Amino acid sequence: MNTTTEPELGKETSAIEAIRQKEKWFTRIVKMQAFQIFLVLLVLVVVFSLLAPDTFAQFSNLRLVVQNASILAVLGVGMTYVIITSGIDLSIGSVLVFSGVVSAIVMRQVGGDNWGVAAIGIAVSIVLGILWGVLNGVLVAKAKVPPLIVTLGSLGMALGGAQILTGGVDLRDVPSVLTESIGYGNVFGSIPLISVIALVVIVLGAIVLHRTRFGLHTYAVGSSEEAARRVGVRVDRHLIRIYALSGGLAGLAGILSLSQFSTTAIAGQSQTNLNVIAAVVIGGTSLFGGYGTIFGTVVGLFIPAVLQNGFVITGVQPFWQQVAVGAVLIAAVYIDQVRRSSTRRGNSQKNRKWPIFGRKSPPQ
Amino acid sequence: MTTPVLEGRGLSRKFGFVSALDEADFEVFPGEVTALIGDNGAGKSTLVKALSGSLALDSGEIFFEGQPIVLSSPSQASLLGIETVYQDLALAPHLTPVQNVYLGRESMSRGIAGRLGFMNVPEMTNKSREAFEDLGATVRSLTAPVGSMSGGQRQAIAIARAVHWANRVIFLDEPTAALGVRQTKNVLDTIRRVRDKGIAVVFISHSMPHVIDIADRIQVLRLGTRVANITNSGTTMEELVGLMTGASTRTTP
Amino acid sequence: MKRTKTVLTAVVLGTVMSLAVSGCTQSGGSGSGGAKQPTLAFIQGVAGDEFYISMECGIKAAATAAGAKVTVQGPTKFDPTLQKPIVDSVVASKPDAILVAPTDVAAMQAPLKAAAAAGIKIVLVDTTVNDPSFAVSQISSDNSGGGVAAFQAIQKAHPNGGKVLVISTDPGVSTSDARAAGFKSAVEKDRSFTFLGIQYSNNQPAKAAEIVTAALQKDPDIVGIFAANLFSAEGTATGVQQAGMGGKLTIVGFDAGPAQVEQLKKGTVQALVAQEPAAIGKAGVTQALAALNKQQVTAKIQTGFTIITKDNVDGDAKSAIYRSSCG
Repeated sequence: MNTTTEPELGKETSAIEAIRQKEKWFTRIVKMQAFQIFLVLLVLVVVFSLLAPDTFAQFSNLRLVVQNASILAVLGVGMTYVIITSGIDLSIGSVLVFSGVVSAIVMRQVGGDNWGVAAIGIAVSIVLGILWGVLNGVLVAKAKVPPLIVTLGSLGMALGGAQILTGGVDLRDVPSVLTESIGYGNVFGSIPLISVIALVVIVLGAIVLHRTRFGLHTYAVGSSEEAARRVGVRVDRHLIRIYALSGGLAGLAGILSLSQFSTTAIAGQSQTNLNVIAAVVIGGTSLFGGYGTIFGTVVGLFIPAVLQNGFVITGVQPFWQQVAVGAVLIAAVYIDQVRRSSTRRGNSQKNRKWPIFGRKSPPQ
Repeated sequence: MTTPVLEGRGLSRKFGFVSALDEADFEVFPGEVTALIGDNGAGKSTLVKALSGSLALDSGEIFFEGQPIVLSSPSQASLLGIETVYQDLALAPHLTPVQNVYLGRESMSRGIAGRLGFMNVPEMTNKSREAFEDLGATVRSLTAPVGSMSGGQRQAIAIARAVHWANRVIFLDEPTAALGVRQTKNVLDTIRRVRDKGIAVVFISHSMPHVIDIADRIQVLRLGTRVANITNSGTTMEELVGLMTGASTRTTP
Repeated sequence: MKRTKTVLTAVVLGTVMSLAVSGCTQSGGSGSGGAKQPTLAFIQGVAGDEFYISMECGIKAAATAAGAKVTVQGPTKFDPTLQKPIVDSVVASKPDAILVAPTDVAAMQAPLKAAAAAGIKIVLVDTTVNDPSFAVSQISSDNSGGGVAAFQAIQKAHPNGGKVLVISTDPGVSTSDARAAGFKSAVEKDRSFTFLGIQYSNNQPAKAAEIVTAALQKDPDIVGIFAANLFSAEGTATGVQQAGMGGKLTIVGFDAGPAQVEQLKKGTVQALVAQEPAAIGKAGVTQALAALNKQQVTAKIQTGFTIITKDNVDGDAKSAIYRSSCG
């Protein structure tokens, strides 16, 4: 009996698998929320292009849209990782400012306007970002304080720290090697260098997330912390690394911002965290964790950017952009809810609460 | 008599004032299916957790192949070749079957790519497929998230994962509870095949016919204590129910 | 899945429709203008602020009179990281001239310089940048003169002289530094007054209150305090009340938005130095159009002030109060 049924079942498995394999590529992409939101973006671009063919649909305009989204994209990569673990990082805007401020102070102390000084500044900014991230990560993973609270706290601490260090007065003596290269420099003719840097971060972020063990563990921790722990994933260490990654990218964004704006803009960036979170969520990453893509986040960033640019060009009141982005955001989360309830079967994750209010603590 | 591959002596664990385990003994032998039965709350799940490194004990000793050991984590148990399929499965719902089988034990690419953290996806996929086919499991897709699959499929994946990694002891906590007739038969066949490889199988179930069908040895827990340890020859359902409820007693094998 | 698609479709359709509507109004506007109607764009420092709204009113009135078309955009906060994308987008829409209130002297330098390089006439209104040489004109209040005006208000209330103090926001803010400096120089010209210095409230009312109570402890005979912005004025008034000196000395506030006018009417402050944003806007349009028509432009224009007190707030000075809509 056994010997006759087994190979048959085996064949069945492979046969079904083979059929799946064929249709899989196309249908899976179409079903991806990131892809659907990409279609929305395309529609927006087409509509604005039709409305304003000689102003919106120009390379020079789209180039500036991309340039202005670059800093947010760097932050978005880190935020995507954090949200996939069902966490949140509210501190990125403040960490960006803090890292930029300390970096500017250090560069001023060292003095000079050359790449040596700039390199020191870049290193200081990134290292400080990582340190803030590690602080967030340790508090989330080890002290079990909810990430919403931890990063709300570090948001205030980093911003306050920046104000203490400067007395609230912006520093504007940024080495011109930075502003002329990273800030406004171009490569390959007229591709902004800052956008190329962002693209490198995006591509590396996507490869690591979708192709490596680090990425797999990120999804696993967000999907079921308990399942990950039981099979030996070092969940706490992984969470610390994720928050450190987010912080480090905020540090990098700090130097990019310093280069682009030639000022520490201490009073700025106050809504950066929410804008980045909105982009990540619009891009289909689930606030409940376990699901998300870097591609979606990039698309999610361009929806508000294109809307704002298009509205300004077509002369629509700027406030409408916020209304439209808000609607898209709610729609995206609604879609995620529908998707989750339709794909979730059985009882394996009943009683899951909104994740940002607290990680489920491990048993005993 | 051979040495038990895994043995617990005087295992106790309290949750508040409730003794989940009270001086319980337990042993399993290679190449045997040991059924662990008992009423709800008898301490079966607690015992399994303790012997698979998921739960610390208040007192008691654990021996692995005759040597005393301390099991402090599930991954330590895994290193010894002890695997567990939990009642609540413990699969990550957003990951694919392949990712679940290899989570925490990924096979890495060769050379520099592996050092950089890249995984050998083809190898993991092929070996997972083999594991599922060995089990006769109808896993409909290797690339869909397991959260979208039926309870039976998820059960099959969880068992296939444990079988794939266990080489000494495998605990199966209610493995047939969520399954249909054909899948149950597959699971029971799998258990026999795993046993024939020389692995000790611990089978926890409320289904007495399955226990009688498959077990070589039956151990009964009541109120946190082992009340019977018998070989399965000519055992009847009535006898087992009597032992579980305390209506009859029999402590010698 | 079906519901998912419906929602997305709805969102997309909604967006498209709102765009189509806006597009119609847009194309209607530019279509009727023929070849010669110049287009102006006004970029505020922050959207929804009465100072910039009053400026917008001045710009619109002047533009309508001159037959020019105006669009108005502004960031939701006074923040260069939010203003830069808007400037870039406005530049992409290729207006003939841009009137802009830069939110940062360094951050807005490069984007505005790039706009000027693209052939757009730039007029800086209210605030400026590090190197404004690319702009056809800079128009702002004479902030130093504003400080003088504030002192004159105190002088009028206390002809016999006495001690005076300045509460400013943060060091390094060019406009409030200029106001304080103007105030100081005016005090030093009148022998009967003593200047006690400038204190910084970091824009926190509580801190301003603390400073003022401490100052009154030391010098109970202070006769006048110039609070260089809204929150400083609020905190100053609180501090004066706490010290039990309410009504004995004159607090002069700056700007004349509804909040400040409310302070004046409640007696929190005794006088307001109002800028003339509408005049700034009007001058901005004049200069932009002059530049477009290749006529003579004035590189730097400074506008004046109106002093508002309880006596004239509902009379002569009513028109000086900032507006919350152009209606």
